[in-house]
Amino acid sequence: MKWSNVSLIYCRELRDQLRDRRTLFTVLILPLLLYPLMGIAMLQVSQFMREHPTRIWLIGADNLPNSPSLLVDQKINPDLVDPRTRELIELDMSSEDDSRIQQLVEQFKNNQQEPISGIIDRLLRIEMKQRDVDLAVIVPQPMSSLSTDAAASETRKRILVFRNSASDKSNMAADRFNSVLSTWQQQVASTTLQKYQLDPNVLVPFSITQADVASRQNKSAALWSKVLPFIIVIWCLTGAFYPAVDLCAGEKERGTFETLLSSPALRDEIAIGKLLTVISFSIVTSLLNLISMGFTGFFVISRLGAGMVKTAGIGAPPVESIGWLLLALLPISALFSAVAMAAASFARSSKEGQYYLVPLMMISLPLMMLPMLPAAKLDLGTSLIPVSGLMLLLRGLIEGQYQETMPFVGPVCAVTLVCCWLAVRWVVKQFNSESVLFRPSERFGLATWMKHVMRERHDLPSVGHAVLCGIIILVLKFFVGMVIESPTSWGGFSKQTIIVLIATVGTPAVLMAIILTRKPFKSLRLRKCSISMLLAGFLLAFCFHPLITWITSVVIQLYPPSTDMAVMQQLMDNILSGSPGVWAIIAVIAIAPAIIEELAFRGFILSGMQSIGSNFKAIIFTSILFGVAHAVFQQTIITFFVGCVLGFIAVRTGSIFPCMAYHAVHNSVYALISRTGPALVDGPFGWLFTSSNGSHVEYRFWPAALLTGLGVLLLVWIWEYGSATSTKTVVTKPSSPWQQKFDGWIKRFMPRSEKR
Amino acid sequence: MIHVRQLTKTYSDLQKGEFVALDGINFDAMSGQIYGLLGPNGAGKTTALRILSTVLKPTSGIAMINGYDIVAEPAKVRHQIGFVSTNTAIYDRMTAWEIIRFFGLLYGMPEDKLQIRMESIFDRFQMNNIRNVLGSTMSTGMKQKVSIARAIIHDPPVLIFDEATSGLDILVAREVLKTIELLREQGKCILFSSHIMSEVRRLCDQIAIMNRGQILAKGPIEKLSDQYEQNDLEELFYDLIATHEKKREQVNALV
Repeated sequence: MKWSNVSLIYCRELRDQLRDRRTLFTVLILPLLLYPLMGIAMLQVSQFMREHPTRIWLIGADNLPNSPSLLVDQKINPDLVDPRTRELIELDMSSEDDSRIQQLVEQFKNNQQEPISGIIDRLLRIEMKQRDVDLAVIVPQPMSSLSTDAAASETRKRILVFRNSASDKSNMAADRFNSVLSTWQQQVASTTLQKYQLDPNVLVPFSITQADVASRQNKSAALWSKVLPFIIVIWCLTGAFYPAVDLCAGEKERGTFETLLSSPALRDEIAIGKLLTVISFSIVTSLLNLISMGFTGFFVISRLGAGMVKTAGIGAPPVESIGWLLLALLPISALFSAVAMAAASFARSSKEGQYYLVPLMMISLPLMMLPMLPAAKLDLGTSLIPVSGLMLLLRGLIEGQYQETMPFVGPVCAVTLVCCWLAVRWVVKQFNSESVLFRPSERFGLATWMKHVMRERHDLPSVGHAVLCGIIILVLKFFVGMVIESPTSWGGFSKQTIIVLIATVGTPAVLMAIILTRKPFKSLRLRKCSISMLLAGFLLAFCFHPLITWITSVVIQLYPPSTDMAVMQQLMDNILSGSPGVWAIIAVIAIAPAIIEELAFRGFILSGMQSIGSNFKAIIFTSILFGVAHAVFQQTIITFFVGCVLGFIAVRTGSIFPCMAYHAVHNSVYALISRTGPALVDGPFGWLFTSSNGSHVEYRFWPAALLTGLGVLLLVWIWEYGSATSTKTVVTKPSSPWQQKFDGWIKRFMPRSEKR
Repeated sequence: MIHVRQLTKTYSDLQKGEFVALDGINFDAMSGQIYGLLGPNGAGKTTALRILSTVLKPTSGIAMINGYDIVAEPAKVRHQIGFVSTNTAIYDRMTAWEIIRFFGLLYGMPEDKLQIRMESIFDRFQMNNIRNVLGSTMSTGMKQKVSIARAIIHDPPVLIFDEATSGLDILVAREVLKTIELLREQGKCILFSSHIMSEVRRLCDQIAIMNRGQILAKGPIEKLSDQYEQNDLEELFYDLIATHEKKREQVNALV
């Protein structure tokens, strides 16, 4: 790669973008204008919110006592409320002409009816709306001698407060009036106690003093630590996206891309030059947003007054936080710019490019929102999540928790760098792909596509078919999981497990193999294999079980399961204990998934993924899909590793059967260990297992290490077997008669493309 | 100095399925000559020229430009060619001077040499009045001039023109054709695709008539006229295409 070319392209693109008014407006001008406008709006709204008076409709004001009085001169007693709030409370005490209201008051007076009737609610709601009041207060009974009544009478006098919780104004009115009522209630109680010559302090046996030990700077940091990383990340993405669309899709549309492609600049140089431009815009947009937000925030806060600064803890962000943000800006921008570029390079036109922004946002938003959750904290598990880990690290650094965050700097940086590297590679790959650069502007139609799929059938599935099959399985599993209820008995569980597996995993894969490929058997990897390989798969599952158990324990330490999961596990144990025997458990949770899942994942999906041209990538992508198909997050990670081993076996042996053997044994061993529990330690397998706390069984270290070593040897054997069979002269074996019959039947119904 | 042997290109297309855009074409174009590729829309002219300019990679076959293989040494090939196409537009937000300078620097020309070359090209093409005019405000004729100037800035021995006069008015088209003739006189090897017969007759020393990715006939125009006993190039072109289409239909009917 010639860096002089990269620099030339970078300078050209930068100049080009700076001359584009639309990009300039979205990326540079908008942030400068947006926050001041938002600040003006906020000032206006806050003023309105503070000045807004509360209107209260008081029914039965005549029933209120004179001493201690709630009202003075048709307004709230000044002893009960601060003068400012007193001015804001307007009372409507107009006499009642409406007979229904009178009737209502009578009802409350006579039979102490609870105010939760639909008719009453409706009546009051309409009446409150007509009178334009926020709150209705009913004093149904005379309270002239409240202080004596309270002690003497068995039935308590009541004041009914009706609010409309769907209205913020009404809620605010209720809060204001309730505080008045509660102060008045205390006054009445004190007066009553004094009347009976008792100390009013008996009502308050102790006082509560609350103090906030956080420094103003800490409070400010706590707020900014949540807001600033989010702002940075969201603007990094937005700032990257518009230039990316213009630089890739826009150039394609304007026809200048081909000119550049025929120049001596290599595709990699073009991609990197453009990427650097997008990164620059992403960084500048974020910085401008920060600066603009900082200035606006400073002025708004100074206008709102010192009170807000003290109470809400809003102040200028700490200086260190800006430093940390600047440091994090480059990796975040690089990551989002590369992702935006890759998406934009796929688009044929600017318009199509704009459509990709929303899905990109939707995918990124959960990662951005996760660190905003109050419970989210930086640990090894969260530090390994792209974007979220970096945001949590930033949050910790801004809050000044250096000691707590330092151990995770390494993992966060590693994950971020790996993601950046992958994203940049993706961009370069897109720029080297003819099908992306010269994507024909076909009109996509379902009928055309179906015709294309049927006409262009290959022997084996394509990558697209494999991905489609994976997505169908995921979607079906999701919806079926939502619709069906969790079983409570063994009978229900066994039936449900097998039916769900067949319906959501097996059927899509088998149907797609029959419809979309010319050789369904080969696509599903249903090929004979030697007994030795079958045995190898069988033994490998035993040998690798300790390793997988160790991975499981690491995953559980990283991402501890929730209490819900523990409940589910308990439920599962109960169901399994109701099974007719071990054979039934093995049949349902080992053999059935082994057959069905292997047909789908190591059969159809892996066959399709292999058309990428790299077995390694094919195994990784298939294992990711296999992992995601297991709904629980911890299980996803573990099954990914199991999927990798299974993928290796499938690719090297070329047959699905050793995979099925591995899968069945793996699941069986898991089920047997959890069912037998600590009893294993005393049984014939005592040399292999130990129990640290009497309930949890684990492998002993040395036997486990020995088994893993044996497993590695088995893997080498499988590898050698694969190499030996692939170097043999390829002789197409005649298919079995029933297989030929099946293929013939398929041929009759599915026309073939003559070109192949 | 262009040698093409069994050049094939296939695309995957939703409508047409696996689509053969170029079906093993062969031809040779020499220095100081204009080689015309003639064919209806969809004949494969643009695909062939895109492959020769290293924008696309061939599915199979060999193509050598000035002794360099287009697949093995694309970077060297790019220094040997200048590519002008209907699809190659110029940058809207750059001036004529900036555009040509940018490409000159990409071709690795030293600043001083580039300056002299640019002055000479701007003078020759009478483009001094549009030096500081942005691409977006140029007329179609101006844009085409800038495109050609951009393609020849590094003085390549091979020039590829893909329907370079399409969409231009007669005056501008005439000027473009004159420029191409001038470049031939300088000894350049020129590959020129068009579907305008008068242009081809006027310019080309040799032609190849293409249809559906295949070359139906090739050679000097006079030789082809004698071979097919047809003096009118347009009639010759029409006859060849019609016969080819008819044969194709017959073969399809048999299959």
